[in-house]
Amino acid sequence: MLARKSAVVLVAAAALVAGAAASLAFGAVDVPFRTVLDALVSGGGADATPFERIVMQLRLPRTVEAAVVGAALGVAGALLQGALANPLASPDVIGVTGGAGFGALLIILIFPGSIALVPVGALFFGLLAATLVFAIAWAGPGGGSVGRLILAGIAMGSLFSGAMAGMMAAFPNRVPSAIFFLAGGLTTSGWGTLRSIAPYFVVGFVIAICLIRPLDRLALGDDVAASLGTRPRFIRLTAGIGAALLAAASAAIAGLLGFLGLVIPHVVRLAAGTSSHGFVIPVSALAGSALLVAGDTLARVARAPIEMPVGPLMVAIGVPLFLWLLRRSV
Amino acid sequence: MILEARDVEVAIAGTPILEGADLTLEAGRLVAIVGPNGAGKSTFVRAAAGIQKMQSGSVQWLGTDVRKLRGRKLAQIRAYVPQRPRVPDGMTAREALRIGRSAQLGPLRRATKADHAAVDEALERAGVGHFAERRLTTLSGGELQRVQIAVGLAQGAPTLIADEPTSHLDLGATVIVARLLRRLADDGLAVLLVVHDLALAAAVADTVVVMSKGRSVATGPPDDVLRRERIAEVWEVDAALRRGERGETALSVDWIGERIRLP
Repeated sequence: MLARKSAVVLVAAAALVAGAAASLAFGAVDVPFRTVLDALVSGGGADATPFERIVMQLRLPRTVEAAVVGAALGVAGALLQGALANPLASPDVIGVTGGAGFGALLIILIFPGSIALVPVGALFFGLLAATLVFAIAWAGPGGGSVGRLILAGIAMGSLFSGAMAGMMAAFPNRVPSAIFFLAGGLTTSGWGTLRSIAPYFVVGFVIAICLIRPLDRLALGDDVAASLGTRPRFIRLTAGIGAALLAAASAAIAGLLGFLGLVIPHVVRLAAGTSSHGFVIPVSALAGSALLVAGDTLARVARAPIEMPVGPLMVAIGVPLFLWLLRRSV
Repeated sequence: MILEARDVEVAIAGTPILEGADLTLEAGRLVAIVGPNGAGKSTFVRAAAGIQKMQSGSVQWLGTDVRKLRGRKLAQIRAYVPQRPRVPDGMTAREALRIGRSAQLGPLRRATKADHAAVDEALERAGVGHFAERRLTTLSGGELQRVQIAVGLAQGAPTLIADEPTSHLDLGATVIVARLLRRLADDGLAVLLVVHDLALAAAVADTVVVMSKGRSVATGPPDDVLRRERIAEVWEVDAALRRGERGETALSVDWIGERIRLP
């Protein structure tokens, strides 16, 4: 049991290290690993070679973005699946994906002159959608139940998806520029976006850490959680807020990759044979990082110098892995 | 006195469920709450446990109003074992007990050796030590119920509240749970039990509380309270409690006779 858990952690950590090394070294031009190491050690200062500058100013921020977004989506999924006691829960379910997609498309299709605002639009509308879902789900008697939350989320998601389809129909000639965002993919854009979005990630991760024990209690049902001094509705709301922050911030950086949030916690649980949140939450972060860093590297090098969106690639890697684990599990 | 509940009234979504229920509980005693379906038994113990909000009345744990006790403090006074607990995938009995034990831990504190020892002790007391490493999803109904009680014991509270722990168990499993609860009371725990089986209540309880239509209508030793007239009045059935020389109990019921209609 312990060996199996350690093995999962070890494989995920090794994959992250290998993925990060490849991500820094490979791309439109290949940089020798030796030079990558030199650049990381020297910090790519003023006297850096062009190779070192590529590593430090272009590839390192992108690798870190991929790692952070992968971790955030893994944790968001683990939070929601734990809080809603529902294996189908993912950032889609609380409306974040639909809202973020709408916000980004609003900028790309209707205000293409302000393309730099895409992350802001995605973040704002992602959080707005989640807020609306929580407000609807918590209002009135019987508020805060799992069923109410999921139904409100699906309704809100449909609303924003409908609005997205409407906008795409109205501006068909601008749709191609939105495909990359919709499919989900990272871009090479330096540290700027990550720096401004970072606080949302930090708050989301801190919430996740604080919820590890309450979510374990919730796994035994609302009544047992209440017996142990945890308020189930409060925990569900907090978990929802944490997941919304992480997923909306992820969408602001990397577009719609909600699928990762659904699959990664399952992969971790099935592979390690435990659903203890003290294991599932941190290891989902690790595995999410590893998967997205590796996937992003593949997406960049597969048809270099053309970059593919990483989303479809993630699905292509993730689904077979997921189905294999699902079949194997008892 | 560990628990004192007076004139507890509860309404759920505007419908009154409890309209005046009383109860006292002391260490080393087992109190059984009996009554027909819909009499408000579960709601009463939930209100007493601080899980269900009440409209009026008072519930005091060790002299403190339940509404003034914060979650963790309350969790260290009483453990509540619900009627239909969730059985999560991929969790062993021991892991469930560790979660129960977390009531004794501060936020973000890790379990110590003493906590692991407390989990082992709770496993032994509930007689579930031999399947501690089995997954909850592989246990029988009776085994699962004992694990749920063990989770409550691991919580380390001086009071155990169990809501109908035997209602879906076979005879053998029911007897095991009944003996377990009686032994826990004899060991000094205060035990509050909601139960349908009047013969079982009479056999294990020190005090029986009869509930009818949202009120506690009688409280006292089983043989005084569960009289033929009261059973007729509350359940509308002609039945008598019989007690043998070794303390064995039976309910003799007129199953197919006329239903008793009281004026």
